[in-house]
Amino acid sequence: MEKKINRRKYNQEEILWGAILIAPTLMGLIILNIKPAIETLILSFQESSGFGKTVWAGLKNYKKLIGDPEVTQAVINTLVYTLIAVPFIIVLSLVAAVLMNQKVKGISFYRTLYFLPVVATPAAVAMVWRWLYNSDYGIINYLFSLVGLKGASWLTNPHTSILAIAIVGIWSTVGYNMVLLLSGLQEIPKDYYESAEIDGAGAIKQFFSITLPLVSPTLFFVMVTTIINSLQVFDLIFMMIDKTNAALPKTQSLVYLFYKQSFIMNDKGYGSAIVMVLLVIIMLITVLQVKVQKKWVNY
Amino acid sequence: MKSQKLKSKVLINLLLILGACIMVLPFVWMILTSGKTLAESVRIPPSILPEKFQWNNFKVVLDKLPFIQFYINTALMILFRVVGSVLFSAMAAYACARLHFPGRNLFFGLVLMQMMIPTQIFIIPQYLLVQKMGLLNSIPALVLPGIVSAFGTFLLRQFFLGLPDELEEAAKLDGCNVWQTFFKVMLPLAKSGLVALAIFTALFAFKDLMWPLIVNMSLDKMTLSSGLANLQGQYTTNYPQLMAGSLLAIWPMLLVFVVFQKKFIEGIATSGGKL
Amino acid sequence: MKKIIVLSLLVISGVFIVGCGENKGDEDGRNEGKQTITYAIWDTNQEKGMKEMANSFEKENPDIKVNVEVTPWDQYWTKLDAAATGESLPDVFWMHSNESYRYMSNGILMDLTETLKTSKKTSLDNFPKNISELYALDGKQYAMPKDIDTIGLWYNKTLFDNASISYPDETWTLEIFLAAAKKLTDEEKGIYGFTAVNNGHEGYWNFIFQNEGKIMSADRKTSAFTDPKTVEAIQFYADLINKYKVSPSADQLAENKPVSFIQSGRSAMGFFGSWMLADFKENDYMKENTDVAVLPQGIKRASVYNGLGNAVAATTKHKEAALKFIEYLGSKEANLISAKTGAAIPAYEGTADEWVKNTENYNVKAYVDMLDYAVIRPFSNETIKVETVETEKIADLLSGKKSAENVAKTIQTEVDDILK
Repeated sequence: MEKKINRRKYNQEEILWGAILIAPTLMGLIILNIKPAIETLILSFQESSGFGKTVWAGLKNYKKLIGDPEVTQAVINTLVYTLIAVPFIIVLSLVAAVLMNQKVKGISFYRTLYFLPVVATPAAVAMVWRWLYNSDYGIINYLFSLVGLKGASWLTNPHTSILAIAIVGIWSTVGYNMVLLLSGLQEIPKDYYESAEIDGAGAIKQFFSITLPLVSPTLFFVMVTTIINSLQVFDLIFMMIDKTNAALPKTQSLVYLFYKQSFIMNDKGYGSAIVMVLLVIIMLITVLQVKVQKKWVNY
Repeated sequence: MKSQKLKSKVLINLLLILGACIMVLPFVWMILTSGKTLAESVRIPPSILPEKFQWNNFKVVLDKLPFIQFYINTALMILFRVVGSVLFSAMAAYACARLHFPGRNLFFGLVLMQMMIPTQIFIIPQYLLVQKMGLLNSIPALVLPGIVSAFGTFLLRQFFLGLPDELEEAAKLDGCNVWQTFFKVMLPLAKSGLVALAIFTALFAFKDLMWPLIVNMSLDKMTLSSGLANLQGQYTTNYPQLMAGSLLAIWPMLLVFVVFQKKFIEGIATSGGKL
Repeated sequence: MKKIIVLSLLVISGVFIVGCGENKGDEDGRNEGKQTITYAIWDTNQEKGMKEMANSFEKENPDIKVNVEVTPWDQYWTKLDAAATGESLPDVFWMHSNESYRYMSNGILMDLTETLKTSKKTSLDNFPKNISELYALDGKQYAMPKDIDTIGLWYNKTLFDNASISYPDETWTLEIFLAAAKKLTDEEKGIYGFTAVNNGHEGYWNFIFQNEGKIMSADRKTSAFTDPKTVEAIQFYADLINKYKVSPSADQLAENKPVSFIQSGRSAMGFFGSWMLADFKENDYMKENTDVAVLPQGIKRASVYNGLGNAVAATTKHKEAALKFIEYLGSKEANLISAKTGAAIPAYEGTADEWVKNTENYNVKAYVDMLDYAVIRPFSNETIKVETVETEKIADLLSGKKSAENVAKTIQTEVDDILK
């Protein structure tokens, strides 16, 4: 289909309609997002103490950044978080979506329950989970002690803090991706399954031969957005890891560092340089995904 | 064959229940905490059940904050953001997926770009924009950053790409122009995607904290999330009140979801048959 | 369907038009002779008191209306920064010594020197010099001192009674303090004598000053952390956790809100600023079991103190009204209202007693007594950066990973680098 179009010359009517249809979004994006992004790029070459007052600094921020072990560690933290969170989020939300698509009694009740974490206010989520993780009296360690294991101080141990944050990230995202995938599953015509059943294909086979390929456009979307969101992790770290927490250096993400430099330390130039590093990482990964999608996404 | 079906039913139910427990546990704690006194909530080891459920926490929160106003502001913000972003995203997404025009890939690149940038960097420039427009401390200020949606454009593009071509071609043969094809044929087919986007737009708006806090300063222009943030002092937090406030904030969103999810699941069940 | 689109577009544009209209209304208010000024603060605990002041100011000045607006601390500074860039700052707002230099040196705050000199209602002489200095630059005054805070020793009377130790008072030295802390600690029950939090203001700075140590050099251009007296003090502080084991570990303190230890009877003593009082007054457990005393004495007496200021935006459109309000906020009358509503010790000299009178449950006089020997919170041109570095490095000391000397050296180098 795409190739056919490419060979065809542009059609006047389509050009016109294309321009009309994208106009509002394009305008909005340019004013609200692209312009600020360019400003941030410029800011990364400047020194600023806030209030929009800047001095040109050339590559100074970037030079500082290369030699800053905090930045290197934040890059590692961000990638580790993404590597832990994304596979679980994708698999679990797909499983949940498939389950939610079954004809089971009370399924809409389940859907609501699974969606609960998505609706919760972030501050409440952080507070509740801090309590669950608490090494002295948290439920998680209590459960461990029941089976004779000793729990960890999840949020203050530098080895477990990212994992602990990732678990909350997974918990609060599964319901949301589930709804997306569910809406994708809903688009699959029922008769596909009926004829597969007549052919004697089992549930597992149906999943891999019908469900997965047909939901792949939505799945692709879920993957791209989940990875981007994971690379931008900030809120959870900000609210669950205190400034005095010794695990902070091993947990803080690039966005956290950007926030700290830009809004707490008021070094907006340096903060902007840090966010540029993140942008390059996200861009590389996203472009890679767009390239690879042709191999597995079924349009 | 029958016993196998039964087995898989049991398995599905078990999985669903297990998942539900994990999802719900923290909320049970929220509800329990909302009924405790401040002293009970920080007791160590913690008490599971409140000695006597303190409805007073809800009363205090309702007295402290103009919740009705918050509901109205939040609802208005959500309404306009949903209308704007669903409509504009659907238009742009359809163009991206189905029309052939120069600059299409560049536009899609911009859409992806927007999603790649952490939202924190938009805050100050967008504030300055709103300020220049003289809209500080108003409902439009709350709406503005969410009026178009890159996320929505991308999501719906995937939906349109996944739809079969036949219907579109049939519509063309019937003499429909692009707009009519989009509106009468394609849009209804992407209904579940539109509903999903509406739910998420509502949700993002509902959870957005930083923006409403910065752009709207007076209490009567605040949203649920920014109003709740005002419950938390700088130094300590009254957990029971915070939890009570959160519960008061959550229920309308949950209701919206319950209503919509039924709609989009049922609606599609019939349209699926038509294909 | 088309109708729906047209309709929704209309509605959207409608909202914008309405929005513009609303905003104009505000500015037009000026022509009608009534001005509205905004007063931005960050502490919900003080909202009530601030509103009361605004009300009584409005009574005196019927043509001015004051809107008190609270933004939580975390967003307060982001908002102020954006507003300053866009020249849409609130007319009057709270200033903190952490940020004051940046705001003063960038010309964001209005110079109040003249107003203060000519004012009949107030004068800088009514306020402690150290506090007004926090908001002065090159001989100009940029904010009116608002309040003062000191750090006090909170203790759990019940736990003291059980261990038959007499309550802390002004005779206490650090030796007595340590001995008591040891006796009060009961590891099995998970009860500690003290909470040695990673916090300079409500923690180790007090010990440093009591030990005659230094944090900044006199000109505030370099750090003085490697001062042997300073190193000794922070070593003692870390020892409370790692050697004497009278405090929860650094991890435990980072995991729970440190204040929750004293609020749940798991810690017998803790240092808390006077700004916590509003919170403690509301807490039943605290009311029943705890009280406050002056800090124990080291080589000398010391308690860290700080004060907020009320500032006016240089770009305010309501200069006269804002200045009038600032003058009022600096008056004895306003400070007495602040004293009555209780959240912070008013800065106006002589009004602190009124503040003490308004708290029944606790011996808050201790906070005021300490003003005689209180040491001003360390500040510099880059206070926040300096403190962030300090907190990060002290974490290594308190968790027992590094020695006090080592940490002090790192802090010294990095802070000097920042202040260069």
